[in-house]
Amino acid sequence: MVGCKDENTVEEKPEDTATSGTLTLGMGAKWGNEDFVVEQVYFDTYGNRIRVDKFMSYISEIHLVRADGSEVLLKDFYLADFENDVNLNYTVPSGNYVGLKLGLGVPAAYNKHEDPAQYPSSHPLSVAGSQGMFWYWNTGYIFTKFEGKIDTTGTPGAELLDSFLFHIGDDPYYRELSFTGLNLNVAPNSPASLQLNIFVDQILAPASGTSIDLATNAVTHTSELDVLATSFFDNYAAAIAVE
Amino acid sequence: MRQLLLWSNLLLFLGIASCGPAVSDSPKDLPVRLRVPQGFPSLDFPPDNQPTQARIELGRRLFYHTDLSMDGKTNCGTCHVQSSAFTDGRTIAQGAHGQSGRRNTPTLANLGWSPYLMAEGGVPSLELQALAPLHEPSEMGINMMDAVARINAHEDLRALNRLAYGRDSLDPFTITRALAAFQRTMISGDSKYDQFKAGVSNLTDLERKGMELFFSKRLQCSECHSEPFFTDYGFYNVGLYTTYPDPGLERKTHLKADSGNFKTPTLRNIAVTAPYMHDGSLNTLEDVIAFYDSGGKGHHQQDKRIRELHLSQEEKEALVAFLHTLTDWNFLQNKTLSPWDE
Repeated sequence: MVGCKDENTVEEKPEDTATSGTLTLGMGAKWGNEDFVVEQVYFDTYGNRIRVDKFMSYISEIHLVRADGSEVLLKDFYLADFENDVNLNYTVPSGNYVGLKLGLGVPAAYNKHEDPAQYPSSHPLSVAGSQGMFWYWNTGYIFTKFEGKIDTTGTPGAELLDSFLFHIGDDPYYRELSFTGLNLNVAPNSPASLQLNIFVDQILAPASGTSIDLATNAVTHTSELDVLATSFFDNYAAAIAVE
Repeated sequence: MRQLLLWSNLLLFLGIASCGPAVSDSPKDLPVRLRVPQGFPSLDFPPDNQPTQARIELGRRLFYHTDLSMDGKTNCGTCHVQSSAFTDGRTIAQGAHGQSGRRNTPTLANLGWSPYLMAEGGVPSLELQALAPLHEPSEMGINMMDAVARINAHEDLRALNRLAYGRDSLDPFTITRALAAFQRTMISGDSKYDQFKAGVSNLTDLERKGMELFFSKRLQCSECHSEPFFTDYGFYNVGLYTTYPDPGLERKTHLKADSGNFKTPTLRNIAVTAPYMHDGSLNTLEDVIAFYDSGGKGHHQQDKRIRELHLSQEEKEALVAFLHTLTDWNFLQNKTLSPWDE
C-alpha cells in the first residue's frame, strides 16, 4: 500500500510584480472527509471492497473569473494524477476574483486529429507528457483513467480478484465546470489559495444521479451513447468542489 | 542518374561525419520529387514534412531499426517484408516477444494516398500512425520515450536527424515524421496491368478475360476495389462469418451497424500478400474467389453485392490470372525501400 505522498509544489510562473500576487491552487482527491489514497481498499455503497490503482484526468483551461466576467488563464492543460495531492502556484494580477472555470478532459480543438508528437515532452499533451492517456490506434486523448480491483464478496482480507477499468474520452464527454460565489482577493504580499477537491466516493455514489456498482458495471472504453461512461463523467463533474 | 549521385553524396557525408569533424562544406538536405505513377492523383505532403533525402533515409533506417522495439529484435520490417509487398505471410501478425496481434498484416503500398490509417480508419495521417505500432504491445511494444533514448545512441541517425529536421536529437516528432516520409515513398503503380494500360505490355487472353470479369457489372469487384488503388477505402461486411469474432469498425464507432465491417484492402500486389482477409483465414487467391463465388455466409448485415456469382472454373482461373497482373515486381525489389545495410 502506498500512502498519500507529501504535497508537491509546482512553480508555474516564477515572475512577480508589484501589481500581482501569488495564488496557490490545491488539487486533491477525497473519500468522504478523508484524503483519498490510491491502492487503499475502501468499501463502496454496494458493499464491494474496491481498490483504485490509477486515477488520472486531464483538466483544461483553468481560469479565474472576475465580477465583470473577465478571465485570467491559470493553466491551459494539466494532467492530474490523483495519487498525489498537488499545489499549483500562480502569479496572477491583483484584484478580486469571484469564480473559477475549468474543463474536464481535452477540448475538441486539441483532442482528435492532433499529433502528440508536435508538443515538447514537458507538455501534458505530448507523447511523454500524456503518460499513456492517448488512444494511439484511433487518435484522441483519454480524458480520464479510473482503474483498479474489486472484491464483490465484501469479505475483509479477501483478495481483490476482479478488475474495473474506466477509460473515458471523446469530444461529447468534455465538461466545462464553473464555480461561482468565490471571494478571492489577490494582492502583493498576501498569498491567496483555492482548493479543488474531487470526492471519489461521490463519483460512484452521487447525491443525485446514477450510482455505479462496479460489480456489474466494471468496464468502459467509451462509446457513442455510452450510458456507463456518461454516468461516470456526469458524476465526476458533480463530485468536484472548490473551497 | 542525378538522383543516384545525390544519394551517394549524402551517404558519403554520413560516413565522414561519424568518424570526425573533417567536413568543410556544411552538408545540405535536398528536396525529393517522388515519381507519381500514371493515373494516380497527385501526392500531398504535410507542410512540416515535405520529402527530402535525409528525411526519407532517416525514415528507412528507423523502419528497419530494432531499437524501436521492446525486445530489441523486432522492427517494422519484421511484419512488413518488402518481398511480400510489406506483409509477412502469417495468418495473424506477431510482434515483439512473439506476441500475437489481432489481425493479418496489411500491405503498405501507396499509403501516402490513404485518407486514413489503421484497420478502423481512426488515424488521420502517417505521422500520427507511427505512434500506434510502437506502443501496441503485440507490435513493437515500446514506450516512445524509451525508444527515443535508445535511438539517440546512434550517431548516424543523429546526423541524419540534424540534416533532416534541424534538431540535435531524435524525438517523437522527428521519428514519426521520418517514418512517414519513408512510407510515402512506398509507391506501387508499375504492375503488368499498369504497363498494359500504358500500352507497353500485353495481357494474355486469360488475364484479359479476368480483367473484363473484374470490372463487369455482373461481378462488381471494382465497385469497392476501384482504380487506381484498387480500394475505395470503404468499410463493408462481406459475410465472411455469420458472427464475427472481431468487431471490425464497431470497435471504433461502437455501432452495431458497423459490426463485421472491414476496410476494403488494396488489391495491388495481392498475389504476394497471402493469406487473405482481415484475419488471414483464406490461404490462397483461389480460396478467396471461391468464397465470393459462394455469396458469403449470410451475415444479417452482409453487403447486398455479395451474392452467389455462379462462376465457371475458367472464369475463376481468369480472375486469379488477372489478380496476378497487379503485382509490381519493381516495388518488391526496389533497393531504396530495402534495409540500408543490404
